Amino acid sequence: MAHALSADGWQGERRRAFLAGLSPALAVLLLITLVPAAALLVTSFTPLQLTDPSGTFRFDDPLVNYRQLLHDGRFLASIAVQLKLSASSVLLQLAAGLGLALLLNGKSRVLEGARTVFLIPMVLPPIVVALIWKIMYTPDVSPLHRGLEALGWPVRSLIANPDTALWAISLADTWQWFPFTMLMVLASLQMIPDDPIEAATLEGASRWQLFRHIVLPYIRPVLVVCALFRLIDSFKAFPLIYVLTNGGPGSVTEVTNFYGFIQAFNFSYWGYASAIATVMLVGVFLLSWLVGRLGWSDHDKR
Amino acid sequence: MTSASGTWSADKIELGHDEGIAAGPVRAAGSLAGATRRRSWLSRHARALTVALLLVVVLSPFLWLVQLAFRPAADIFDDSLLFTPTLDGFISLLQGNFPKSFGNSLLVSTLSTCFSLLIGVPAAYALTRWNFKGRDRIALWILVTRMAPPIAFTIPFFLAYQYLGLQDTVVGLAIVYLTFNLAIVIWLMQTFFEAVPATLEEAAWIDGCGIWQAFWRVSLPLTAPGLAATAVLCFIFSWNDFFYALILTRTNAITAPVAIVNFLQYEGWEWTKIAASGTLVMFPVVVFTVLVRKYLVRGLTAGGVKD
Repeated sequence: MAHALSADGWQGERRRAFLAGLSPALAVLLLITLVPAAALLVTSFTPLQLTDPSGTFRFDDPLVNYRQLLHDGRFLASIAVQLKLSASSVLLQLAAGLGLALLLNGKSRVLEGARTVFLIPMVLPPIVVALIWKIMYTPDVSPLHRGLEALGWPVRSLIANPDTALWAISLADTWQWFPFTMLMVLASLQMIPDDPIEAATLEGASRWQLFRHIVLPYIRPVLVVCALFRLIDSFKAFPLIYVLTNGGPGSVTEVTNFYGFIQAFNFSYWGYASAIATVMLVGVFLLSWLVGRLGWSDHDKR
Repeated sequence: MTSASGTWSADKIELGHDEGIAAGPVRAAGSLAGATRRRSWLSRHARALTVALLLVVVLSPFLWLVQLAFRPAADIFDDSLLFTPTLDGFISLLQGNFPKSFGNSLLVSTLSTCFSLLIGVPAAYALTRWNFKGRDRIALWILVTRMAPPIAFTIPFFLAYQYLGLQDTVVGLAIVYLTFNLAIVIWLMQTFFEAVPATLEEAAWIDGCGIWQAFWRVSLPLTAPGLAATAVLCFIFSWNDFFYALILTRTNAITAPVAIVNFLQYEGWEWTKIAASGTLVMFPVVVFTVLVRKYLVRGLTAGGVKD
């Protein structure tokens, strides 16, 4: 009896101790994530802007911002631009990352060294990546442009041309993020058991058959997770657009995130910008939920 | 694929063999044999050669930035890759406001890393060892905060900071960085604590240690490398941030990435100086990457690969 009591006391003490460890972090997280998210939602129902500070708590027409969004051609166009940019760069990243992972999967020192060096684009400060590509796309200092010019084939800067600006950004984004897919695929390649590959090799399977029927089924869940992660992250792309094109020429590279930034911090329409951010937040949550459903449940089943 | 290391050593032997023949007197031992040998040398090295070629092509934009930083301003539009390197770009950086913004970056990143470790590590430990209702839900919430687009946090923070007087302060920025750093610490440290056998802690409890005493004396020392890697990762993420710093700072607390953009916008085409600032800003990150690659990989893929 006394023993049970002391065990109970110990359990209680344990619980209190863990609670004490956990609660500061939860309190801070609550304060810096949930409270701002709630504030964002509240702001999105008001007409708050710099020239009209009294709009802070005016809720006479809470859905005005959302109604306006539906009729805002620039906003709708920004979604289309976002989808084009995200789809193209995610697909390119998956292709490049997968290809490199297959090439670099092995145990030699050279391959291991190359794996580290290929990580560099991903860990560089995004602003430096933007700077690197600003240089690449500026004819005066770009080796690309100078090389083409030397061949008698001068090309207009890709980011100044409305037809190519978005693809130029997509290329830079791919350059920055292919290592992510590469890492994830490499990690999952290392978990493929040797037996089926050896068996298939003995049966005379070609390299393509090996990849198609043994390797690909193993890494497919990882590819799906990669695609979703990168898709979610691609909605945040900012430094590249800010530095390379500033949304232009015209508004061909103005993605939703960037449009929200302009509304909030160039025009100071905070209520309206909050509505844009809320829409993005909902989109991101839906995709995160998909990650949870698709990616992880697949892992768990295995 | 799996026997790559075997192939590699065989390659080396083959290479020596080839050279031996080339140096020997019986060089014309039949051009046909030479050709097949050369082809097999090529095919055996095809992978290494492809990798090397790709490395150069993929990293050339990055290398181009670095070489621009050392190029004399007069040669900047010169095609030749041969030039006398100069530190002019870096020296002119020292004379402006750049050292201050660099210092701000260091300060903000260090502060934010310390904050998030201080509150995040005990929380991660509690989440690992304490199975309570709603544990998974809390863990998921923490992960989702990592996904949220920064603009969703920036607008409320921007408005609140104007009232709180935290606009354009280092502390204010460090607090904002907790929105992503805390999630990283809690998520990553959980995986490290899981690797510590619970029996070790139980032994410490039996010897009369309290929960947190056992944590401090047993679990934390065992996860020291993981802790270091987490700290590095937090530091890098804060260091790399541009968006929050652009919006929440003006002059006083401006960080190095924002300073670079100011160069681009206001100082026109001083490419040597701009490239030098970029090189300086990425330098700590590249060094860290090479130093803690293994753990870094774990952090960068955190939440993606469930291990």
